[in-house]
Amino acid sequence: MRKFFALLKVSVKSMLLSSSNMGRKNRKKAATGVGVAVLIAFLGLYMSGMYSSLLMSVLAPVHMESLVFIFMGIAALVGGMIFTAFAAKGVVFGGKDNDLLLSMPVSTTALMASRVTAIYLENLVFSFFILVPAGVVCALMTQSGAGRSPLFWARLLIAVLALPLLDTALSVLMGALVAFVSAKLAKGGVIGQNIVMALYLVAVFWFAFNLNGMIEGLAANAMGVKESLSWAAPMLWMADGIMGDWMGLLLFVLSCIVPFALMVYGLGKVYRKAVTAFAARSARSDYKLSAQSASGQKKALLRMELRRLFGIPMYFWNSCIGLIMLVGMGIAALVMRDDLRMFLALMEGAPLMPLAALLMGFCLSMVVIAAPSVSLEGKYLWILKEAPVGERTLLGLKTGFELLFSVPCTVIAGVCLILALELSPLEGAALLLAALLFCGAHAVFGMFIGLTFPKLDAVNETVVVKQSLAVVLGMFVPMGLLGLCALLYWLGGMVNGALAMALPLAALAAFTGACALILGKRGPAMLRSL
Amino acid sequence: MLRIEHYSKTYPGGKKAVDGLTLHVRPGEIYGFIGHNGAGKTTTLRACAGVMDFTEGTITIDGHDVKKDPVGAKRVTAFLPDNPDLYEFMKGIDYLNFIADLYDIPADRRTADIAKYGDAFELTGNLGSPIGSYSHGMRQKLALISAFIRRPRLLILDEPFVGLDPAASHLMKGYLADLCRGGSAVFFSTHVLEVAEKLCHQIAIIKDGRLVKCGPTEQLVGDSSLEDVFLELEGEK
Repeated sequence: MRKFFALLKVSVKSMLLSSSNMGRKNRKKAATGVGVAVLIAFLGLYMSGMYSSLLMSVLAPVHMESLVFIFMGIAALVGGMIFTAFAAKGVVFGGKDNDLLLSMPVSTTALMASRVTAIYLENLVFSFFILVPAGVVCALMTQSGAGRSPLFWARLLIAVLALPLLDTALSVLMGALVAFVSAKLAKGGVIGQNIVMALYLVAVFWFAFNLNGMIEGLAANAMGVKESLSWAAPMLWMADGIMGDWMGLLLFVLSCIVPFALMVYGLGKVYRKAVTAFAARSARSDYKLSAQSASGQKKALLRMELRRLFGIPMYFWNSCIGLIMLVGMGIAALVMRDDLRMFLALMEGAPLMPLAALLMGFCLSMVVIAAPSVSLEGKYLWILKEAPVGERTLLGLKTGFELLFSVPCTVIAGVCLILALELSPLEGAALLLAALLFCGAHAVFGMFIGLTFPKLDAVNETVVVKQSLAVVLGMFVPMGLLGLCALLYWLGGMVNGALAMALPLAALAAFTGACALILGKRGPAMLRSL
Repeated sequence: MLRIEHYSKTYPGGKKAVDGLTLHVRPGEIYGFIGHNGAGKTTTLRACAGVMDFTEGTITIDGHDVKKDPVGAKRVTAFLPDNPDLYEFMKGIDYLNFIADLYDIPADRRTADIAKYGDAFELTGNLGSPIGSYSHGMRQKLALISAFIRRPRLLILDEPFVGLDPAASHLMKGYLADLCRGGSAVFFSTHVLEVAEKLCHQIAIIKDGRLVKCGPTEQLVGDSSLEDVFLELEGEK
């Protein structure tokens, strides 16, 4: 057991912590771990708090509170999988310390179990922050008194502990599938992984978009909805269990423990074989050298960044999902502009341009290309530091690389929204200017925060892209900036329309300028010291 | 070619890795740098290559100050760390072209040099594969080829013989000699004292961050062997 806990400690540390070589190690380590926990907690609280109260307001009057837990259970399951399914591929199957640990006198089952447990702990955080707020909402909003007894909280706690077992079993199986596809499709491994990733995200987004529809249908036919959810039997058992059905709770716990135990047992048997097979890649020896062509330094560096972005599916999907959403939103608005206009007619007087700018900014906030780019260099950083390229040029290229994608997508989405919403030329220009300034602010800030919180020792790219503090801050600080812009628009609107537009634009320009100035002054030295 | 003057490096926490090192490598010389683990060899090599920042002393390469003109210094230098991690998402040929582009190597020259060194190290056939699929030795060879195609004025190598098969080691020694005949210089660290003794024109021995002895190999070794000299200086004999 001591060995298991030692291995678990290593797995959890490698997932959450950073040991930068910039000094002040402990503070940064703690900050990285706390940053990731804050992200998960924030998302969990946001999703659970908003949807639980929305659902409860509809369901409490008809005494169908258990449906809240069904939906929150599904949300925790899906949310947890978003965070951990692809992390499982890296942490469980793709750890760079596999050779070292497999050579040690520990059983492969213990090694695999320690890594799976690390995934479980991450899912547990998500489950806690989704189900517990739902319990609080239940205690506050029901008239039946459910949620106010200690036994309710005991049953909820059992559910909180059991649900991540199912989540982990599914995440690890998904991770194994991705690792298998990567290994089997030798040359097309990246394409295969991208296809699996795309299908997975489509499924997740389908569920998210349909959740609102399901909630709307609840008021009319709550019992019918519950019956239609028979495919999610464990969630029904969990919900009934939390509300007082001990047999339901037992069934739910078993439905979580059995798949988890089977997965641990089965994978434990074949773990060494699986890890070896997934990692086995042999170099071909049939290359024929032909005349090579030359290009410049900047082109070479940009091509390298492109190869990294498109060669690492985890990086591509996490970094570009915001851009896909941005362009998708713009095109959808243009294609369905008649429906959109009908809907907008109901919201007479709503400030369309600022709303469009906020939506664009939200999508752009999720673009994390610059923020993890220094950390992604990791063990390769010596190549760039040895190269005859100035630090300023390197930082400029890395920042510009994000803009290379975000600016065209912003222009496309912006033009689509201007046409779809029939904005005036002045409003259209303001929308584009605001969105482009936000692009600049996001990229420059991302680069600076990436230098401030580098994670150069990550065991794989997944840890950098999904769990580094730079990425968390690179997303949430720009979202905070959006909030500030909204506030300034509202305050400016109290005086006149022109000031309402000018204030957020000035704030964005000031933020971008300040970040660029700091990056230009301190960035090269920060990069040199890594 | 390489002038290290009063170079010191102190790590955060106060540990002095290198203390007042002064050392000159002339054009055409192969200069060996030997010492115990943790003596300060890698720290010195990394500072010369511009990979590691330092505050005390000056290092100049072919007249370029590493701190004041880092790009100029790097342009004439090639550095190979002890464990060269290369971009695994790139193919071997892409990596060589990437390096060639960074050093502005013309297309015809790079094609000829890649062919020359690729064939010699028996790696040309593998250049179409991702580096992630390479063995340690293949990566080492690729890193060496990427250094040789630059035709550097100064080649800095950290433990270059680790991971190379005997044939590749022999080949590399020949290419190092060729490079020096062309007026360049080689500065490398090694624990293989026999190789250092046979290959190097000059040798420096470093202990606890301080230079304890340096000079032409024949003078340093005398009638003894480098191993004896080294162990004596280290107080182990």
